[in-house]
Amino acid sequence: MLEIKNLNKVYPNGLHALKNVSFNVPQGEFLVVIGLSGSGKSTMLRCVNRLHDVSGGEILFNGVDTTKLKGKALREMRANIGMIFQHFNLIPRKTVLQNVLSGNLSRTGIFKSILGMYTKEDKERAMKYIEIVGLKGKEKNRADALSGGQQQRVAIARALMQNPKILLADEPVASLDPATSHSVMQYLKKVNEELGVTVICNLHFLSLVRQYAHRVVALKGGVLIYEGKPSEINEQWFKTIYGEDAVEVTIN
Amino acid sequence: MSGQNYKAPEHIAITYTKSFVLDVLTWAYIALVSYKIIWQKIVLKERYPDFFWSQPLYSFYIGLALAFILIFTNFSLGKGLFGIIKTKDDEVATKKPFAYIGYLVILLTFITSYYVSQISLKEFFSPQGLEGAQRIFTALFNPNWAIFEEGLFAAVETIYMAFIATAVAIPVAFVLGFFAARNLMNGNKVTFTIYNLLRACFNISRSIEPLVWAIIFSVWVGIGPFAGMLALFIHSVASLTKQYSEQIESIDDGPIEAITATGAHPIQIVWYGVVPQIVLPYLSYTIYRWDIYVRMATIIGLVGGGGIGNLLMQYQGQARWNEVGMLVIIIAAIVWAMDWASSRIREAIK
Ligand SMILES: Nc1ncnc2c1ncn2[C@@H]1O[C@H](COP(=O)(O)OP(=O)(O)O)[C@@H](O)[C@H]1O
Ligand SMILES: [Mg+2]
Repeated sequence: MLEIKNLNKVYPNGLHALKNVSFNVPQGEFLVVIGLSGSGKSTMLRCVNRLHDVSGGEILFNGVDTTKLKGKALREMRANIGMIFQHFNLIPRKTVLQNVLSGNLSRTGIFKSILGMYTKEDKERAMKYIEIVGLKGKEKNRADALSGGQQQRVAIARALMQNPKILLADEPVASLDPATSHSVMQYLKKVNEELGVTVICNLHFLSLVRQYAHRVVALKGGVLIYEGKPSEINEQWFKTIYGEDAVEVTIN
Repeated sequence: MSGQNYKAPEHIAITYTKSFVLDVLTWAYIALVSYKIIWQKIVLKERYPDFFWSQPLYSFYIGLALAFILIFTNFSLGKGLFGIIKTKDDEVATKKPFAYIGYLVILLTFITSYYVSQISLKEFFSPQGLEGAQRIFTALFNPNWAIFEEGLFAAVETIYMAFIATAVAIPVAFVLGFFAARNLMNGNKVTFTIYNLLRACFNISRSIEPLVWAIIFSVWVGIGPFAGMLALFIHSVASLTKQYSEQIESIDDGPIEAITATGAHPIQIVWYGVVPQIVLPYLSYTIYRWDIYVRMATIIGLVGGGGIGNLLMQYQGQARWNEVGMLVIIIAAIVWAMDWASSRIREAIK
């Protein structure tokens, strides 16, 4: 469903953040991307939905090269790809419901969205996703007043509102405590298994990777150095990916 | 990485040049002021000392000579201020030789100000002076309530003048604020040029006092509240735009990124990603400006901008101090009330 071929990204300041990265993501997979911070994981995800422009290579999304899309075509592509972030990035001062509804902006006219006119059907859908992420009853609360884990679940519901084929998650649990991390990962798993959404998730902790990933790719200095099953990451690979001095920590 | 290491030697040369220029100006100033004030006024006691352009010129030469010699020593204000003279941890910068030059400048400036503004305690406490003050204060404390209504109407005019000027400026500044925000405009050359042009315009129009605008407009559209309103309008557009754009520059990129990722249109991105982050700071700042403009409008009235300031000017011109007293009370009450209301409102919406 997603084919990344020789992807290169050079930032305007000359930093070569991704070097000839290639891999495929089949429909329905839960793919986890690992690597040290600064290895290019976020850059890679942002190239997929074109929050960053690509410097070279191709990204085929259902057979269409997305790297050159512009305007309406670009927005339609983005609408099919949901994204959640480490710092949740919810709209401040708005309610949970308003935040979730904002996931539907690409299908709402500009004028209607400025006036906040959503259809009854949209609202029902938003309520359904709020229920799926376990926040029923909180839809009228201000999103920025919720706990970190709840905010990330609002973000998941907002992404689901897009009806995405793929969900990108950029270190979704990096600012959450261990227990909450697991709960958010469980919701991602549920989205993947029950709604059939393909998930590409950047993660820090190998213990989470082992538990949730179908498959793993590892980046190091912008180069893809590992691709395989999470169970195949042995001591040797671990040291290659994270450096000689790294020690594995587990989170339960 | 980007050539910062290569820059270092050139950097020191620039710092030395700056220090030298500052030293020249400092010594020239010290020389000129010492001659004009200390020598001519205080020592020779000349009442109206002559001015020749040669005086600043020679001072400049003296400054040049002194700076040229002293730049090699620690007696250099420039070297001290631009950090060439290093202060060790156990030393205090205020006890360094260059600091004493600074103290000398401050002292001379103080003496000069005293003479230039002709401060005369004798006049301040002279019998005629005190008598005049007593007359005015008695009148001020006996306001003429007969003109209360007149004053109130003029005050209302002033408040509305300030209000309409701010109100009309808000939508203009709201739109311009986006174009004056660096983080939205530095994407490409065209928008960045617009950004720079706008910034330049606003800096110029903001640096011209509303008082000056009021004089210009009172000639243009005639004396009255409309001239005052235009003056305040120009000033509020500039200052609100600047404030709004700074507000936009300091917002969190996260929500913008998230809304972009949903496939939203750029207008929707601004409305959902930018606007919710700025409305409250905007509102708060706008109320604060309105409060300031009511005060400004009073002053503007003095030069023909209408309202209570205008009235104040008329009565003051006729030396009718009881009436002036009434107006001063009204103005004080309004300023106090506005101040209170605006801080209350801003507190509430925080
Ligand atoms: N906007 C940017 N401009 C320039 N360099 C960037 C930018 N964003 C990230 N980088 C650099 O690109 C490299 C990869 O960063 P990133 O993709 O954020 O890594 P990760 O998400 O794996 O921590 C880092 O060296 C980072 O400093
Ligand atoms: Mg990252």
